[in-house]
Amino acid sequence: MSDSTIQHHEDSRDVTFRVHRFNPQVDSKPYFDDYTIRLEKGITVLRALNYIKEHVDASLTFRAFCQAGICGSCAMRINNMSKLACTTQVWDELEKSREPDIIKVEPLRNLPLIKDLVVEMDPLVDKMKSYSNWVDSKMSEENWGKKEFLVSEAEFLKYDKATDCILCASCVSECTILRANREYVSPAVLLKSYRMNVDSRDSIHEQRLAGLVKDHGVWDCTHCYRCQESCVKHIPIMDAIHGIREDAIAERGTKDTSGARHAEAFMEDIEKKGKLVEATLPIRTNGVVWTMKNLLPMAFKMVLKRRTPPPPPLVKSTKDIEKFRAEFKEMTGHVAKDHAKKPGE
Amino acid sequence: MKRYAYYQSCINESMTREVDRSIELWQHDLGIEMVKLHESTCCGGSNLDYVSPKHFALVNARNIAAAEKMGLDLVVSCNTCLMTIRSAKKKLDESEELRSEVNEILKSEGLEYRGTSDVRHLLWVLIDDVGLDVISQKVKAPLARLRIAPFYGCHILRPSSVLGKDNPMEPTSLDLLLGALGGKTIPYDHKNRCCGFHTLLVAEEESLNVAAEALQEAMDEKADCIVTPCPLCHTVLDGYQAKALKRSGRRGSIPVYHLSEVVGLALGYTDRQLGIRRHIVT
Amino acid sequence: MKPFDIVIVGGGGAGLYAAMEAMKTNPGLNIAVLSKIYPNRSHTSAAQGGANASLANKAKDDTVEMHIFDTIKGSDYLADQDAVEVLCSEAPKIIRELENMGTPWSRMEDNTIAQRPFGGAGRPRCCYCADKTGHTILQTLYEQCLRKGVIFFNEYFALDLSVDGSRSRGLIAMNIKTGRIEAFPAKTVIFATGGYAKMYWNRSSNAAGNTGDGQAIAYRAGIPLKDMEFVQFHPTGLRKSGLLVTEGARGEGGYLVNALGERFMSRYAPEKMELGPRDLVSRSLETEILEGRGFDSPAGKYLHLDLRHLGADLIKSRLPQIREMCMYFEGVDPIDEPIPVRPTAHYSMGGIDTDNFGRTVMEGVYAAGECGCVSVHGANRLGGNSLLDILVFGRIAGRAAAEEAGKFNPAPISESEVLEKEQELRSFMQPSGHYERYGSLREELGQTLGLNVGIYREASKIRKGIEDLVALKERFSHVRVFDSSDVYNTNLLQVLELRNMLDLAETVAAGALVREESRGSHTRTDFPTRDDANWHKHTTYTLEEGRPKLGYKPVVMGRYELQERTY
Repeated sequence: MSDSTIQHHEDSRDVTFRVHRFNPQVDSKPYFDDYTIRLEKGITVLRALNYIKEHVDASLTFRAFCQAGICGSCAMRINNMSKLACTTQVWDELEKSREPDIIKVEPLRNLPLIKDLVVEMDPLVDKMKSYSNWVDSKMSEENWGKKEFLVSEAEFLKYDKATDCILCASCVSECTILRANREYVSPAVLLKSYRMNVDSRDSIHEQRLAGLVKDHGVWDCTHCYRCQESCVKHIPIMDAIHGIREDAIAERGTKDTSGARHAEAFMEDIEKKGKLVEATLPIRTNGVVWTMKNLLPMAFKMVLKRRTPPPPPLVKSTKDIEKFRAEFKEMTGHVAKDHAKKPGE
Repeated sequence: MKRYAYYQSCINESMTREVDRSIELWQHDLGIEMVKLHESTCCGGSNLDYVSPKHFALVNARNIAAAEKMGLDLVVSCNTCLMTIRSAKKKLDESEELRSEVNEILKSEGLEYRGTSDVRHLLWVLIDDVGLDVISQKVKAPLARLRIAPFYGCHILRPSSVLGKDNPMEPTSLDLLLGALGGKTIPYDHKNRCCGFHTLLVAEEESLNVAAEALQEAMDEKADCIVTPCPLCHTVLDGYQAKALKRSGRRGSIPVYHLSEVVGLALGYTDRQLGIRRHIVT
Repeated sequence: MKPFDIVIVGGGGAGLYAAMEAMKTNPGLNIAVLSKIYPNRSHTSAAQGGANASLANKAKDDTVEMHIFDTIKGSDYLADQDAVEVLCSEAPKIIRELENMGTPWSRMEDNTIAQRPFGGAGRPRCCYCADKTGHTILQTLYEQCLRKGVIFFNEYFALDLSVDGSRSRGLIAMNIKTGRIEAFPAKTVIFATGGYAKMYWNRSSNAAGNTGDGQAIAYRAGIPLKDMEFVQFHPTGLRKSGLLVTEGARGEGGYLVNALGERFMSRYAPEKMELGPRDLVSRSLETEILEGRGFDSPAGKYLHLDLRHLGADLIKSRLPQIREMCMYFEGVDPIDEPIPVRPTAHYSMGGIDTDNFGRTVMEGVYAAGECGCVSVHGANRLGGNSLLDILVFGRIAGRAAAEEAGKFNPAPISESEVLEKEQELRSFMQPSGHYERYGSLREELGQTLGLNVGIYREASKIRKGIEDLVALKERFSHVRVFDSSDVYNTNLLQVLELRNMLDLAETVAAGALVREESRGSHTRTDFPTRDDANWHKHTTYTLEEGRPKLGYKPVVMGRYELQERTY
């Protein structure tokens, strides 16, 4: 960037970038450096970092490639939020700063740190591999190139948004469960898995789904929606996660995993009582042994404080439960009819 | 007296009964009345949606239709119920086909989903309808000596396409209300983070790690207490606090209050009246 | 260390297709892909528009022949006709192949792959996925390579070939994450490192890393480059950043408008209007600006690309990325306002001289994609042919290398050669008295190229450009790397990339000066017409004593005779 574009007239001000630094060859732990530069309105965070690297401190290290929001290289945490530096306007960030005129810049979370703002991306690639994040074509390779699969626009629309993903790993960085356990599949990998699973050209749907319902898989998601809110391509990632769960229950039944059993319990209780019977939820989800081991010690305290949920017979049913139950059953009929109408869907 | 149809969340009927109890105590002080919807059912949590999307729509169309019949907005004091019912509403409002399908069924009860009632969190009603000025005028016992760590919980913020009231990653509403009650809120990273409730029974270890991190940050920032507008967050942060902190090797504890309780405290009610003594951490 | 059968440098469309095809050809081969970035970040992802193939899904009367003719005519008859025939006849097959492996193409009503009109094409034959075609192709190829177990060396920067007489022994590269210099002994090497148009820097739509690394390595190893003077300027770069507004925007019906409110393309291509070939449209914009019919702004003169009449729905559904880009980088929503545009350096037709199998003159060394020059684009590339080129010739090179790999066993790369490289890199970090900063050298490189070897060229300006380049190279010998660490030293990488760009810039300028005619993207104001008698030939460049030595090669003709190129 030339000085003339940076040091333009009127709408300019001094901005401090408080940047996370760490060089594993020298530093025992990360620290922050402040760089104060005069900037013109309309500059992106990436252009500001480029300016710092070229004019102030050449050792400042970050990834950047296309600088146009499509390659996903420059994802980092700017003012505590994972996003692409190349599409983030400095002036917009100044409004969000906790300390005036200071923009905090840190590396993505939940991936191993390499240097300054650069994190290791291999764990994400490894997960893409272990969850078969590719179409395994129904057509054998020898026959490729001879004729097209016919795919409806409606099917294309099912995975259209999901194929916008540029693997920038902002969602990975913001994910609640990954932060608690790095073994977790990751939102981006769930999104890609969903995209493959709804593709009619793919032949390993069942196998992929079997992997997704295992430990650290789709049922571990805690529905915090941080992935979706941080997605730089505005992809409704949670819809994909719900899509996989819906698929898992439809294909593998409600007794398959603790996650599926947990979900099924809601359906059961609503039909029977209208209300959730929380007292038996742990047992129905994880069985008696797990419940005794994990919840019994706490139950004593809860009893003392009279916080235990009432046993099933004492759960007050919804008023007019009979009428409601009839309606619920009628909907079950509708759903069955839908399935009969659209075989294979 | 402004009236609202009040949705009875399952958890507030069982484990966190203190929430509804406190609201009943102070509602008239603030000129509002929550009319309990006894015919409502469980919203399905964040689960029914993918077991059966159609049942999910029906159940919540019915919950909302009951409020519509009374001509009142539906008010919810559990984040997940709020998010769930609002996302059903969004689906219903966007699809005439879905609306007519559920209405066909609801007819038998004399109910119809029209989309006329809004679905709102108690926190939003306090800010938008009662007003921060009015609330601060009514405060008898300001929370002045407390450093409060506000814990919003996810489902009052996200997905923003369904909630849309507050900035999904930089929320302010709870801070504003606590400010009106005379409290001082602290900035900390976990205020918009997750409590881990929804994986408690499926991935307990991860859930407890999530909760422990939130609790520790609040304690590190020297907060006197945590306040949350969600009974599910409360259940984890209070009920599972000892277990979570033990796992992470952290000593000490921090009290966690419901939004409805701190409103009550500021309006001059006692912790016994508000049911605060029912908490595990006191 | 056992040599690899194939080392592929570059993980974009060409490199990944080559890797996949090589594994398909012989699953037992030991293949490595080296890439200075994670392959899914490659610049292939920036190709929004689409890939041409005469599938005849949209225009039932489209044929391979028509595609061949359009490509040859578009190239201003500088493309080799046998190579174009390969490109176009393989096109339908390769698009279907991509479809078969999972590329999410947009669809027609009859569920076949959708096609749309594109500049310079007689039929609507551009296959697309909304406005993210390159991105989805790249993702699909990366996914398929993961499926097939291709071994990736991600974030490795290729430094130089190790040469044994007329044969390559393999490659020496730096592991960016550790800074270690490593030898990659290999029976065959395929360069697929993309283009060199970033040398125009601010006036370029390219990614920061499109610095012609593969071309520069080959050039330093004595392999000839070809047709380097042909750099395509895309008509519609965003005014401030140079970033590209794809031809898709015009394909969907966007208007180009000057400050007088005229759709000025009626002056230059009355029939095709906005869908004329790129070089013509770029020159038309430049002429409008030079003749004073552009808009004025502090960021320079520009014209309007107006999409407003297409309506919000179409813009949102068909051109969402373009819209987002205009908002992020230019602060303009094309639904409400016209987009400010001007020409931007976009694509390099020239590259490593190869035959139709991607082979170079050095045994065991191949090149494919924008990095190579077969040549199928000649003096000007048609929109929708670049993705096609990387796919078709990536695959061909992959197969050819796989077949060759069994036949040779190269001598090992010596320890001392690796050490030599290490010392060379270390010398950049040793402080000497006087030093130069990388940033200003790079800035001046882009400036002199833009001013003197840009869209309109003339002898005196090009000479000035060449002088500047010689001076810049001298100054580069004093350039200093300030970051002294081994781990992830991007400062060092920038310097090495600059070295590559400087080497290649000399060939671009040398070709621009010697070619005394105007053809395709190369426009000499002092020689305004095409001169087939003297210049219907390729230029080649070989490094001799630090300077490019020019040579010539005949154009392979076929059934299409030379014609004047009008639209």
